Amino acid sequence: MITAVIGAAGFVGNRLVETIHLEGGTVVPVVRTPARLALPARFAVDWRLGDALDVRSLAEALRGCDTAVHAALGDTRQIELMPAVFAAAAARAGVKRVVYLSTASVHGQAPEPGTDESTPLHTRHRLGYNNAKVRAEQAFFRACRRHRLDGFALRPGIVHGPRSRWIADTARDLREGRAWLVSPDGGVCNAIHVDNLVAAVRAALHAPAHQAGPYLVGDEETVTWRDFISTIAADLGIDPASVTVFPRAPVVPEDRRARLAKWIFRPGLRPLFPLVPARVKRTGKLVLSAMQSAPPPPVWRMRDPAGPRVTEELSLLQQCRWKLPHTRATRLLGYHPPLTFADGMARSLAWLAFAEGRATPTFTP
Amino acid sequence: MTPLILPDRRPAPHPVAQPAGPVGIVLVGCGAVARLFYQPALHELGRRHEADVLALVDPLAGARDALAAHFPQAKAVATFEAVGAPPGSLAIIASPPKHHASHALAALRRGWHVLCEKPMASTPEECAAMVEQAAVHERVLAVGHYKRFFPVHGWLREAIRRGTFGELRSFDIQEGGPFRWPAATPSFFSPADTPGGVLLDIGVHVLDLLDWWLGEPAETDYADDASGGLEANAVLTLAYASGLRGRVQLSRDWPTRQAYRFEFERGTVEWQVNAANSLSLHLHGLPAALQGTLLAPDGEAGWTAPQCFIAQLQAVVAAVQGRGPVPVTGAEGMRIMALISRLYRDRRPLGQPWLRAPAPVTRFLVSPP
Repeated sequence: MITAVIGAAGFVGNRLVETIHLEGGTVVPVVRTPARLALPARFAVDWRLGDALDVRSLAEALRGCDTAVHAALGDTRQIELMPAVFAAAAARAGVKRVVYLSTASVHGQAPEPGTDESTPLHTRHRLGYNNAKVRAEQAFFRACRRHRLDGFALRPGIVHGPRSRWIADTARDLREGRAWLVSPDGGVCNAIHVDNLVAAVRAALHAPAHQAGPYLVGDEETVTWRDFISTIAADLGIDPASVTVFPRAPVVPEDRRARLAKWIFRPGLRPLFPLVPARVKRTGKLVLSAMQSAPPPPVWRMRDPAGPRVTEELSLLQQCRWKLPHTRATRLLGYHPPLTFADGMARSLAWLAFAEGRATPTFTP
Repeated sequence: MTPLILPDRRPAPHPVAQPAGPVGIVLVGCGAVARLFYQPALHELGRRHEADVLALVDPLAGARDALAAHFPQAKAVATFEAVGAPPGSLAIIASPPKHHASHALAALRRGWHVLCEKPMASTPEECAAMVEQAAVHERVLAVGHYKRFFPVHGWLREAIRRGTFGELRSFDIQEGGPFRWPAATPSFFSPADTPGGVLLDIGVHVLDLLDWWLGEPAETDYADDASGGLEANAVLTLAYASGLRGRVQLSRDWPTRQAYRFEFERGTVEWQVNAANSLSLHLHGLPAALQGTLLAPDGEAGWTAPQCFIAQLQAVVAAVQGRGPVPVTGAEGMRIMALISRLYRDRRPLGQPWLRAPAPVTRFLVSPP
């Protein structure tokens, strides 16, 4: 089986390439530009250039492959456009089995208890990313039906592992005294180690065609954000008790720029964009940029500590009380997460120590 | 692009006399390095009447023509044969690394002097041929290690040489991050086009500086993550006869600290990659570190990185005109390539325990199609 991985330079795409290649499989990493080849080019593999927003370019990159996995990232507009391009390109290249990396965020960061794949999706989420992924997943299945493809969409939650922002950013926040939790334990962290996600992708690549559809995937254990943050803190020699604990989830006001951008980029207005003169677009960008700039700090004031780094996404995530089930993936795809949470974190932290220049791991064949 | 302006009063790392008229330039290779570095730098040398671009050579018409718009007086041609520049011109070899040796040799045979971009060539043998050919034709052969011109790098060299902060005990260099060079082609990542990855690409600058500061290491231990292709991460430890030890970590993958840190007996010096004229200094026993800009004796700030690039070109032009030494000679470039070649020969695979395959508990429901 020859598997193309679109978005092979990204965190998940790269790990998929590594796993398939190092286990003796045949993988075709696909990236958009030559500059994105640094990671796939470590291996003697048939990497290709392909634009995930261009059917012809992507179809050319998929030529000769049996299956394809879409792990490319983008802004909300690109997220919505890419699935239809993916399916059309796969059909043109003769690829029948396609796997799309969706996200558990299609259910929101704090899904209602009882949520599973049968729960209807909506596009009224506070975060534009969630709504974009809902539309993208729906577009993916529509396109798969149109092109008669076996389409599998996986919905991972917090994907952790080597090169994960959840690992690196949490370590940074802990060192800077800016990590935080919502009392008492930060809620359920719907985590999945990247190797478990890779196992789920491979299960989808091999599953019977009639099992096509969406699948929630996660680690086996139910862990909390306190578990996640404390594990990293302990490895860094930071007392987990030093992490700020909020009595309730902090409310993050939507910033003015994001609100304006959301209004401007709403679907109804998009067809009009090409008609807007370039000078008006430039001026608009300048106005948006000016709205972001903070006033200079007062001179007669001592510096305050930076305080917890609160984001709306993490605030919503820490309100989660529901471990999203992967029973459907286990039953229909044969998915069993191969890594425990503890083993996965140990791997991630070994990588972090190397990436930060704190350790040079010894090679063991 | 706005031309870079080089202030007139700056400390020169090499003694340079007054210019003796412009030197004719043949720019070989019109890719990203030519567009982003040589184009603005050559504009500045033109403004100062130190260089005159005669020809732009690149087989790709698109790349050639894009640069030709900035140098309307220059001939834009596909091959050396069509250049027609007189002997004594300076050829800047900015083509992909696999062509460096053949292009440099062709230029030297025409009686042109050569400034060759790093890495000097693909192998030490190619470097030796270039050095020999330059000697035969009595031409300048310089290698583009412009980071030697960074004021902070010269300052450190003097601090080591004079023992200003006591004995140098150790160093730690971390450089690189996600690859963002606007490469037009995949040649950076194709073993057929380039003999190395991150060690050859950014490591060549680091190794040149270490050689300039400390001389040849007594022992090296090198590991990288190449697995049939080109490495994106590399770790090198070096030991010197004096007992000094150091570590270099390079990456095209993940943001490193992007910092050089040197521990002396009496203090620590640290600076950020490409911060050409600023550093921090922590003298042991004092409660705080100093951070600041290096100043010349006349009080002017030291060169910035772009100004150092221009200064390198000025120094090579001066060498061509017999007004100063060659800043980095072909022989020096060859020594670094020989070291890199040895490191690749003796490389160990980098330990990556996070890559181990998990126990295969996933049971596929059907056989692969």
